[in-house]
Amino acid sequence: MKNIVKLSIVAVVILFFTACKNDKKETDLKEGHSNEMNMENEHDMNGSSTDMATVRKSDLTNQIVGSYLQLKNALVLDDEKNAAEAGKGLHKAFESFDMTQLNDAQHKEYMEIAENAKEHANHIAKSDLAHQREHFKMLSVDVYDLIKIAGTTKTIYQVYCPMYQNNKGGIWLSEVNEVKNPYFGNKMLKCGTIQEQIN
Amino acid sequence: MKKSILGGIILAVVMAGIQLIPVNYNQTEEISEKDIFTVYTISKEAETMLKKACYDCHSNNTNYPWYNKIQPISWFLSNHIIKGKQELNFSEFGLYSKRKQKSKLSGIENQINDGKMPLKSYKLLHKEARLNKLEKEEISKMVKNLSNQLN
Repeated sequence: MKNIVKLSIVAVVILFFTACKNDKKETDLKEGHSNEMNMENEHDMNGSSTDMATVRKSDLTNQIVGSYLQLKNALVLDDEKNAAEAGKGLHKAFESFDMTQLNDAQHKEYMEIAENAKEHANHIAKSDLAHQREHFKMLSVDVYDLIKIAGTTKTIYQVYCPMYQNNKGGIWLSEVNEVKNPYFGNKMLKCGTIQEQIN
Repeated sequence: MKKSILGGIILAVVMAGIQLIPVNYNQTEEISEKDIFTVYTISKEAETMLKKACYDCHSNNTNYPWYNKIQPISWFLSNHIIKGKQELNFSEFGLYSKRKQKSKLSGIENQINDGKMPLKSYKLLHKEARLNKLEKEEISKMVKNLSNQLN
């Protein structure tokens, strides 16, 4: 009897997942996102789920986030040349960032973020793919922290890959609710879990 | 024949001439308050390793080899040291923001494990800078330990 109950629970769960997947294809993009979010939550065996966070709606960081995502996408494609270009763009974006919109505490933190991030961007502009990825890991934390203080108008996902750098792990930010790993690229494109949705 | 003798003489004169240009030394007596070893507690093993493998180009104190007295070798070394200190200066580590310190620590570990640091040319002339596996692990341990102190 117990076994039958267990089995039916498993069956219902499986049905639910398949339903989610089908729904995703049929509904529009936004609906698809929220369905997949639910799926992520149900999927996670460790009990942790995707966190939701809101930051202020501001287009201040648009250029920085845009260049960062361009860099991220180049790394996903193992494209060293375009990653280097995006690194240059990111450096410029930090240079032209409008700091007047920040309060004193934010301004101080921004200065530290920018100093660090520009250095990473510079290295990415002149390095090989493996080294670009090492800097990208630290840069991702910078851009994440920047979004937390300066906001964004975009929906951003924070994704975590536990395997990068001999299982030390690393996060990245993505504009799509889908795992495409910039640390491993084609070698292990699907490695990672979505940890947080911002906005 | 004459031409090559003349060329030799010119070269000798130029070489002798540039020896007169003073050598700039990257050395100081005082131990900086912002030195990584003043700011953080670091194991003796790791300290020895950093000092023998990194400090010549990444601190305010270079232990110069005898050939530094010869130009243009001296220029070449001086250039390396300037660039090295720009990237990372252990003597001023405490001046960096916490964020930058964390970045630098990861960078140290990555560069050493990838075999990119110390530079090949440096290792060629400095046997003591060729780190073995155990020594590299010591650096990783130090990085982990310091990163924890930073959090």
